[in-house]
Amino acid sequence: MLNDLPADDPVQTVVASANSILNESVYKHHAKEALHSTKSVQISLLTAGVGAFKAFEAAGVNPDFVAGHSVGAFSAAVAAGVIDYQDALKAVLFRGELMERAYPHGYGMGVVLGMDENMLKTIVRKHYEETNPVFISNKNAPDQITLSGALPGIQKILDAARQNGARCASFLKVSTPSHCPLLSSVSEELSEMLRDIPFYRPLIPYAGNRGARLLFDPVDIRQDLAESVSSAVQWHDASTVLYENGTRLFVEMPPGNVLSRLATKAFPETRVFSVAENGFDDCVFIAKRERSKS
Amino acid sequence: METMEQAVNQKRSWTTRLDAKKKRIDSVKGLVNGRVIPTDRIVEALEKLIRPGDRVVLEGNNQKQASFLSGALAQTSPKNLFDLHMIMSSLSRPEHLDLFERGIANKVDFAYAGPQSLRIAQMLEDGKLTMGEIHTYVELYGRLFVDLIPSVALVAADKADRQGNLYTGPNTEETPTLVEAAAFRDGIVIAQVNELADELPRVDIPGSWIDYIVVADEPYELEPLFTRDPRHITDIQILQAMMVIRGIYEKHEVQSLNHGIGYNTAAIELLLPTYGESLGLKGKICKHWALNPHPTLIPAIESGWVDSVHCFGGEVGMEKYVAARRDVFFTGRDGSLRSNRTLCQMAGQYAVDLFIGSTLQMDRDGNSSTVTRGRLAGYGGAPNMGHNPGGRRHSTPAWLNMMSSNDSLARGKKLVVQVVETFQAGNKPVFVESLDAVDAKKDTGLATAPVMIYGDDVTHIVTEEGIAYLYKTDSMEKRREAVAAVAGVTPVGLGHDSKKTESLRREGMIALPEDLNIRRTDAKRSLLAAKSVEEIVQWSDGLYEPPAKFRSW
Repeated sequence: MLNDLPADDPVQTVVASANSILNESVYKHHAKEALHSTKSVQISLLTAGVGAFKAFEAAGVNPDFVAGHSVGAFSAAVAAGVIDYQDALKAVLFRGELMERAYPHGYGMGVVLGMDENMLKTIVRKHYEETNPVFISNKNAPDQITLSGALPGIQKILDAARQNGARCASFLKVSTPSHCPLLSSVSEELSEMLRDIPFYRPLIPYAGNRGARLLFDPVDIRQDLAESVSSAVQWHDASTVLYENGTRLFVEMPPGNVLSRLATKAFPETRVFSVAENGFDDCVFIAKRERSKS
Repeated sequence: METMEQAVNQKRSWTTRLDAKKKRIDSVKGLVNGRVIPTDRIVEALEKLIRPGDRVVLEGNNQKQASFLSGALAQTSPKNLFDLHMIMSSLSRPEHLDLFERGIANKVDFAYAGPQSLRIAQMLEDGKLTMGEIHTYVELYGRLFVDLIPSVALVAADKADRQGNLYTGPNTEETPTLVEAAAFRDGIVIAQVNELADELPRVDIPGSWIDYIVVADEPYELEPLFTRDPRHITDIQILQAMMVIRGIYEKHEVQSLNHGIGYNTAAIELLLPTYGESLGLKGKICKHWALNPHPTLIPAIESGWVDSVHCFGGEVGMEKYVAARRDVFFTGRDGSLRSNRTLCQMAGQYAVDLFIGSTLQMDRDGNSSTVTRGRLAGYGGAPNMGHNPGGRRHSTPAWLNMMSSNDSLARGKKLVVQVVETFQAGNKPVFVESLDAVDAKKDTGLATAPVMIYGDDVTHIVTEEGIAYLYKTDSMEKRREAVAAVAGVTPVGLGHDSKKTESLRREGMIALPEDLNIRRTDAKRSLLAAKSVEEIVQWSDGLYEPPAKFRSW
């Protein structure tokens, strides 16, 4: 994921600052074997997101809004000028450790495609057992919803969803039941930790994970960053709020193109690019051209 | 006695509204040049001409937007302007809701908010906005003259002269209605125009109704909302269109009608010159339309199907075509289209035989709704046209054809047709046990569930399975059977006993394609009179000039 970035100065500055906080090379966390660890994945995601953003900024591309999914929200907060990258990295390290520790075994996430939230809710309600708790978590699209909780519980819901007409229902390759109340202790500790970090007024509006509102107040953004890990990410709504506010070009920071796929489907009339798929230079070119039109 | 004398002595002023208006006009004396507000001083002028707590009607249709004035209003200071009560037929632009986010306005009455349906729901939940009511278009226009009389009207036109006369070109839409409501109750009327001209091509709104004009820094926003690219029409939509032409338009001799915005109805328009022609229906059906200038109607017009079209608004790219076909369209002396949303909605309500539209959800009684949970989109105009108006008295063959009893006072009925596929994209059933609208009512505290078209108004439902002739059913039980029979494998359709299908067919309560002599295999795109926007342009002799986003060549 760090490989998609241009080898520019701004990216090197971010990498160097990561290395100094980590006391080791950030690329170690980026090695294939390290990417099994939640912590390493999150560090790499943050570094890739912020590194790319700084490169865009240096190339003269400045967005009107930012949003990030899950740990991506920390990158978004850095991009909006709400927290410094070093502080974000410390927070993400801490968050990753807490998440790894919370449920070492037997928990995870699943995803259901082709079924709306109402129906999935009914299924979860019907099959819920306290011994194997499951929750509806992220709403990535109206028909792409994740589940978080105990593996046997998730298995049950996935089976029931398939029987009730879901197009696809499967486990995700993660070992933490993120974005559900099982992680509320992580949110509490993270909230304490974030209190010691300076938060600034956002330079551009930041779309929150939990309420899918545009947030303008640093206190609200701090709360969103702390509580997101134990709350459902309302990604479809957050991106819809950006769209309704006039966004007509979405550019996804590396790695990957998951979010751009979702945006392409949700907003067929917009332009959607990702660094991973279109390359950095093309993204810069398109962003500048769209800006000159408006 | 004493109190009575006091009452007589305290002379009441009968000109408080006019006096207040004069004060406002005085307050901008140094700022304006006659009736013209300088472009760069519009924000300042609005802060003086509008007062906190005012009812402000801001022109925002689903097509034409007073975008310069809405942008300026959003730039006013909430210290000077606050607690505004916005009245808007359509909330579409980001700044429409910024007004509430910034505290300039706090209450809204509207008809449609599709493009801002999430933000408005969020703001309602967050208490940033107080909801008046959600209306249909005609209903909202009506209230402008009763209990929602505006203090200020902010509208858009193409051109003005220095006397304030306005030229709206083809996009008159609702401007005259909004202006009338304010102008004749001593409200302030401000019109943004694209240019100031010495002479206007024609006068759409007289200058004596207008207080101020301002030249916008860029032309008002205009959405080509009714352009449907035939490339996206599917074989299923063509099958449904064939069923509608055969099983409804021909059967009931439908001569006047409105079509919605969907691909379903675009398919019907494009089948008239081909499939319709082959059935010998030209001159018998579809002669008079209450309809925007749909590009997909061009082949039918060119083949001589269409006698008249009255329009709600214009359509980007259709200007030259319309001007060159003035026998068909309403046009002014200058040659361009004259549209009028209020009158066309009324025509669509009272004067046409049939309304046909589509929906996202329908329950087993035929009630339909386009509500998605967590969104507040409103109604627009569909309910105005999609119901049987009790005030109708004139008869036409189609209207009389809906009579289902021999009662001596029996009367006809408007045809209200819903065309849907049994499943939406994303595997969502259209036919459901209970509408999301019922939950939306609970979620948002609305007084009633936001139903778009009520089941008792619906006369026909068309799905890929067949047609349900609901107007023929004489009991709720029969009605539900007919709905379920065409509901496919949705939760509603699965409850249907397939043995009943045969008897429903015999009784004429439902018709399958084969009952209408339609072979499913004949429903092919090759039947479309135009299969692309480019072919529509050819039909129009090059007069239709599609916007860039519809040009693929």
